Amino acid sequence: MTVLLLAGLLAACQQAPPPAAPPPPPAPSSTQNGYGATERAFVELAIATDEQALELLGPTGRAELRENRNTELAALRTLLDAPYVNHHAGHDMPGMPTDAEIQLASTDPDAREQFVRAHLTESLEVIRSARQAITHPPTAEVVALMERHRTAELAAG
Amino acid sequence: MRKPLFHIAAVIGLIATALSVPVAAQGEPVRVAEFLAECPISHRLPDDPIVLPNLPGASHSHDFFGNRSTNARSNQQTLEGATGNCNPVSDISSYWVPTLYRDNTAIAPTGVTFYYLGEGVNNPAAIQPTPYGLKIVAGNAKATGDADSIARWSCLHAGHVNPSKNFVQCPAGTMLETYLDFPQCWDGRNLDSSDHKSHMSYPVAGGCPSSHPVPVPKLRMVLRYPVNGTTAGLRLSSGTGQTMHGDFFNVWPRAEMERRVRNCINVVIKCDHNGNHG
Repeated sequence: MTVLLLAGLLAACQQAPPPAAPPPPPAPSSTQNGYGATERAFVELAIATDEQALELLGPTGRAELRENRNTELAALRTLLDAPYVNHHAGHDMPGMPTDAEIQLASTDPDAREQFVRAHLTESLEVIRSARQAITHPPTAEVVALMERHRTAELAAG
Repeated sequence: MRKPLFHIAAVIGLIATALSVPVAAQGEPVRVAEFLAECPISHRLPDDPIVLPNLPGASHSHDFFGNRSTNARSNQQTLEGATGNCNPVSDISSYWVPTLYRDNTAIAPTGVTFYYLGEGVNNPAAIQPTPYGLKIVAGNAKATGDADSIARWSCLHAGHVNPSKNFVQCPAGTMLETYLDFPQCWDGRNLDSSDHKSHMSYPVAGGCPSSHPVPVPKLRMVLRYPVNGTTAGLRLSSGTGQTMHGDFFNVWPRAEMERRVRNCINVVIKCDHNGNHG
């Protein structure tokens, strides 16, 4: 019995490893001038950032900033190709006010001013990064709009 | 006829005996299906080539290990043209995690080990090499509490401190450590997916589900931070300890990965950094 068992095990061991799976297709990536992985990632991040910015501004924040963020949100949402999921809630993302900052800003106008400026300067960096990476024309238009908004907002205050 | 069911250790013992596996001077080879790579921190960037591809500066801060070139624009071609800092040097894969902070001071892990294991599935002999170029994300960066987190925090050299999904207070002289197990069942087709998760799955009842039928080695990341004492002020760039997550971009040279799976994982033997044993 033992001999038979060992012979069986040896045979099993000497078999070649199972054949490898066929090579898979390339990973999804940005299609030429299409709405690809980079566009999707940017749009989802920009929605999360603008929504937090509106929370930071609150009802008494600078009116033109509120209007611009709302305009951007409307344009960004038209670009989505799937239901929106916030992948960045609770994260410390460049340009995205955190919940702790929003809470502090609600009682401290000076802190709010500082956080608004950080939102504008940091999100402008992200937008400039996106400008170089995004090829999908409708997304690129929104990126350009967001860059114009922030440049003007920083100049104004 | 009903197949005889052997205890796995007995089966492995018989295989080892039959094959005359070299026995180390200090005793039997360790019957754990394992190989490993140790990769210290390489660099830190606000980049994420999987979640925010081609968008440098758009991510929360990450600590990168292994491949020295990883940034927002990394892909299989750029990574395979670069070098890494792992032991073994042949592993030029890229690994990254959110940066740990105490207040606003970043803290780099001082012990970083990536174990590749045969556990989790009942038949390690069927485990296949991790596909070249595979991207895997583990953990939940969006966790809001314990219920939706798989994070595990504990203390090195202080086993009496119960592990937790959030940071734990480690006694003086010990280190905060975290474990993260990556999903090990592949769908056999896609190296990535739009949510970066659905091409992979965890095993179910010791086997890979039919939707993700290909078992690959289980990647277990173990990080040790030079941190102890109070958890006050500790945070990840993704939030609380529960949001610990890890990303893996496989660029192990195919032959190196295949040899380790064959020599260490399939036959259930613990290998050294070079993928050897005995």
